[in-house]
Amino acid sequence: MALLWFEGSAEAQADVDIYAVRLEKNGGELAPGPKHARITRSGLGQAMDPEQLVVTLGNTIEAGRPNEVLATIVSIGGWAMASVADIKLGPDGPVRGRKLNLSPFLNRSNLVKSPLLLFEDGHRGLPSYFELGSAYGVLARINGQGRVCDTRRLTGSGKPIQPMIVPLNALNAVAFLRDLAGSGQLLISRSFDGGQHWTSVEPAGLANPNAPVAALLLNEDLILVVANDDPHGGDRLSLLTYRPSTAAWHHLRELEANGVNARYPVLRLNEDGTILLAYSTGNKTGLRLHHFSRSWAEAGGE
Amino acid sequence: MTQIGASIAFGICAAWVGFALAGLVVPVLPASLFGGALGLALAWPFRRNIVSTGAIAIFAPFGVMLPALALHHIAISLGLDAPVFSSIEIAVFLLAYILFLVAAFGLLSVDLYRLGYSPRVVGVMTLAVCLYALATGNWFLALVAVSGQAIWAAGWSSSNWFDTVLHVTLVPIAAITLLTRLF
Repeated sequence: MALLWFEGSAEAQADVDIYAVRLEKNGGELAPGPKHARITRSGLGQAMDPEQLVVTLGNTIEAGRPNEVLATIVSIGGWAMASVADIKLGPDGPVRGRKLNLSPFLNRSNLVKSPLLLFEDGHRGLPSYFELGSAYGVLARINGQGRVCDTRRLTGSGKPIQPMIVPLNALNAVAFLRDLAGSGQLLISRSFDGGQHWTSVEPAGLANPNAPVAALLLNEDLILVVANDDPHGGDRLSLLTYRPSTAAWHHLRELEANGVNARYPVLRLNEDGTILLAYSTGNKTGLRLHHFSRSWAEAGGE
Repeated sequence: MTQIGASIAFGICAAWVGFALAGLVVPVLPASLFGGALGLALAWPFRRNIVSTGAIAIFAPFGVMLPALALHHIAISLGLDAPVFSSIEIAVFLLAYILFLVAAFGLLSVDLYRLGYSPRVVGVMTLAVCLYALATGNWFLALVAVSGQAIWAAGWSSSNWFDTVLHVTLVPIAAITLLTRLF
């Protein structure tokens, strides 16, 4: 498996490219190989259809197909002027890129951060968000041709962005959202019809100072969550569980204390049943990985 | 096909800008020749420059209406006969389009843009535009609506029909057109 991240002098600068390392088992432990630039701005610009200027790169997620990713890209301005690009990768970098059509405002301002979902009909569900003045979450449906064929909004309390959607089964799903308005609360919305409609976004009952969240389904009524739950606006990172049937939170352990500035957690369930957790540290200057078993998480981290 | 379509649309729009700028100092015919040469040069042999790649990054998808309006304007300036929109039509369009964009910004709870992904709704909207065009005798509008739907259905441009028949730069273009007619 590979780990991707964006790297440059600072976030949203014109020297940011996407880097990668391959993680391989070395005596039972996951060890990273040498890092290399996987997507460069110039390489992506030339691979885009139509060919165009790409000034900076941002959050990048797996696209649910081999050698394909979805990335936040910017051609002018800041994150509010970002678009989402579907990028096909070859051995030496992008071989094809195409912006997804998500907005009538010059195809801006949509960003990605959270992993894709799969619908039963084979379509992919892309959690994205609009962030230009106002802000709201979006679940975009992508068809077999890789084209957006429907979108649904997640709106309500605050400025909900970065929807982290966890399907519980074919019909029910939970979305955790970060509040850009700074309410200090994690936000939540639910769907009971396969993502066709979403309840009004509301506080989830967990402190969260406008920080990204990751979540992963452990069983139909237990979700593993990694979030900053500091009610005083710090930057600690905690491992928690959320039970949808009772809306109950359970704090498992503190992953990073205040001062480490741990952000942007990502959770992934591996084919061997283990879970990989990655996040940035030191105000996005470093990366930390945790590798643990699903049963350990289900047992409450004991 | 997206690359070819975007290059053609960008070339036409660049030609329009060149035509308008040259028209400030030279007559219509040489201005149109200059604009055409500029658009062709930027869209094809010199397409890998920061102006072309930057403009495509910012303005694509161009859709059908914007380049069609550019050709329409140049054609009328050259004395060709083509239907024109009334001031009331432009004012109603401007108001409706601004409401559409406001909804897209999430400032209205209704999401009109997502209707442009649905083949059934797009079919109804195209038919409605064609019926209006028939009633007013505006073949230009029908041509844009039908070619926009054809390009959308073929997958040669945006997956949202609204992007093929509208463009956000139509707001300043419509506003300036209205102002020049009023004053």
